[in-house]
This record gives sequence, C-alpha cells and structure tokens, in this order.
Amino acid sequence: MTCEEFAMTGLEPRPSAEDGPLQLAAREHLRNCPHCAALHENWQTLRGDLHALGAESRELEVPSRVEMRLRQQFRIKHSTMRTRRTAAIAAWALAAAAVLVGAVSWINWRHQESLNVAGRRNAAPPAEGAPPNSGPAAPLAPTAMELGDVVVAANSVDFALLPGVIPPSLEEATVVHVQMQRGALTALGLSVNEEQGADWIQVDLLVGDDGVPQAVRLPHSAD
Amino acid sequence: MQIDLQERDDVLLRRSAKGDEDAFAEIYRRYQAPLYRFALRMTGSPWAAEEVVQDIFMTLVREPKKYDPQRGALGAFLYGIARNRVMKQLERAPRELPLENTDGTSRANFFATDPMTPAHWAELRERREQVRSAVLELPIEFREAIVLCELEEMSYEEAARALECPVGTIRSRLHRGRALLLAKLEMLREVPKRANASH
Repeated sequence: MTCEEFAMTGLEPRPSAEDGPLQLAAREHLRNCPHCAALHENWQTLRGDLHALGAESRELEVPSRVEMRLRQQFRIKHSTMRTRRTAAIAAWALAAAAVLVGAVSWINWRHQESLNVAGRRNAAPPAEGAPPNSGPAAPLAPTAMELGDVVVAANSVDFALLPGVIPPSLEEATVVHVQMQRGALTALGLSVNEEQGADWIQVDLLVGDDGVPQAVRLPHSAD
Repeated sequence: MQIDLQERDDVLLRRSAKGDEDAFAEIYRRYQAPLYRFALRMTGSPWAAEEVVQDIFMTLVREPKKYDPQRGALGAFLYGIARNRVMKQLERAPRELPLENTDGTSRANFFATDPMTPAHWAELRERREQVRSAVLELPIEFREAIVLCELEEMSYEEAARALECPVGTIRSRLHRGRALLLAKLEMLREVPKRANASH
C-alpha cells in the first residue's frame, strides 16, 4: 500500500468484513511509514476530540417551550379540522335532505298527474270508429278525434242525432268537447265538404253510457 | 426490532393524524433530541436549531400524509426534513460560531466531576471550541457525515439512511471530512514529511 492509498482509505475505525485485506495492508503500511503513522495518530486524536464534543452535548434536548408551542398548534389544527368536518357533514346532510324532499315532491306530483290523466281518460273514452290520422303531420297536430278538457252534463238540446242512433236519454249521456278534423265527421255518418275536410274544428259529442257517440253539435263557426 | 419500531411509529403517526395528542407527543419525545443535536451541530445556533425542530414537527402536524412508510423509517424522513430546514437556515442567517451549551447543568457537572486543574480545563475547552468551529466550517455534505457518524456515533448504515445516500458515499465523505478537519486544525503541520511516496 502506498501513502496515497493509505490517505485514501486510512484505517477504517469501523471495518466491515469486506475491509479485511485492505485493513491488513493499511496496518502493515502504518508500521513502516512514520508519516502515515503520525497522520493516523492525529486522526485518532481528532476522533477522540469529536467524540468528547459529541458526549458533551449528548444530553441536549429541545427547550420545553417548543413542545408547548407544538402541542398548542396541534390542538388548534385538530379543533379546526373537527369544526370543519362537522360543518361539512351538516352541509352535506342538509343538501341530501333538500334533494330527498325535492325527489319525493316530484314523484308525488308525477303520480298525481298520472292519476288525473287516467281519471280524464276513464271519464271520456275515445269515440269508436274514429278515422286514422290522415291529416298533415303538424308538430302539435292532435289525433283525428281528441278528448277535450271539459265534460259537462248532457242537458243541451241542439244536438243532431247521428244516423242510425236511437235518441238517447239525456240523463245517462255526457257531453264531450273534442277537436277533430272536419273530414272525420264522415266516419260518424255526416256529409262533409271535401275541400274543407282537413280543417280542425271543435265538436261537442253526446256520448252514451256505453261510450258510443250518439249525437253531435257543431259550433256555429264550424258550420 | 427495527421493523417493530417502524410499525409503532406508523401507528403513532396515524393516531396523531386523527387528532391523538398523546401519540404526537410520543413521536416528539422520541425524535426531538437527536434532531435538535443534529440541527445544533449543523447550524451552530441554538435558536436556529430550535426553529428547525419546530418546523420539522409542524410539518408532521400539518401534513402527516407526507410520510410514506413504504419509503423508509420515520426517523430518516424527519432527518430529511431537518436537512432541508438546516440548508434554509444556513442560507438565510449568518452562522453563529460560538456554540455554547444551552443547558447550564452540563458545564456545572463537568466542573464538579473533573479532577483536572483549571488550566487543563481551559485548555480542553479551547480545544473543543476549535474542533467545534472546524466542524462548522466544513462543507455541508462532509459536516453531515461527521456530525452523524462521529458526534452522534451513528453506524454508517444509519447515517446512510438518514442522509438518503449509499454507505460508500458516507465513508468517502467521512474520510474527506476528517482530512479537512485535520487541515483546519493544523494537525497536519505536526506530521513528519513522507520518507517515500510509496512503500
């Protein structure tokens, strides 16, 4: 081993198993070289000084005020987190409750709506033998015969009986306001001017308790 | 044993993250002293070291999830933070070279138990001051290695974990650090010249 090599590796104070041959060579060099022996002695002195310096301050600890400050910060942070967590939970609970109330209301409203529609349908079933929709496909075009909104008591008298119908008992019949194409009146046995067949008109039908139209009343504008 | 200790650190940190103050205090008590000594020996200033330790544990309070147990022991993680904070301190503040003991008991005990004469004691103190100053003047990477392996008497493996580098790097830094210390303390002057460059 040369002095340069010794200076590079030295005598390892805590040699590992791998250092064995190198340490042997270093010890051999140390015996033969006064320069490196003196250097090594200085290293040992320095190590002693360093260890003494380390031992002198081995018991040093952080002043207790630091722990107090840290504990205070810890409490502040976690109490803030707890408050925030509670607020977040409360906010989510309120939002969920609002959504639930909204959903229940909507479902109820929908249910009510469907009941109303079913009630109206039951109250006024469509007329039999109504012609299929032959008119132009307008965006809001109703079917050839559409139920009106109002069902009134059949106490009117200016209805024209449909062909082949026995005069009904007015107490048992209902009047249904419908919108239909003028041409559809032919299905009820009435004659219609073909040029005006596609016009939409309001018609009152006198419907018997069997659901079959028995008489018709045309408003004056539709005549 | 090491794994058990790590697991316990993990458990304590988890409890601390959930707001358990006792768990946090236990972690603090476990690591504050070595971290403080490391910071003190690196900065040379008790005030700076105190601030470094406070910063380290504030990081644990604010961001406990920064520590990933898969990546190593909590101690190594804390030393990593300590190194960063020390660097910042050294960049920010001028170094305070006279590093006095902050606990009054240390010197008093020394007087009470040491049979040396006052002259010897003064000489020893002066020598310690020289060594302390020389350590503080070392470049940071060598200083870290000297502080951990020589002053804290950590094993090379422990120091390597703390400094997140290979053991070989620790060895070479130590070697270079010792040579620099010898040079600074002018101990090389007393060494006789080489008789021969190679034997």
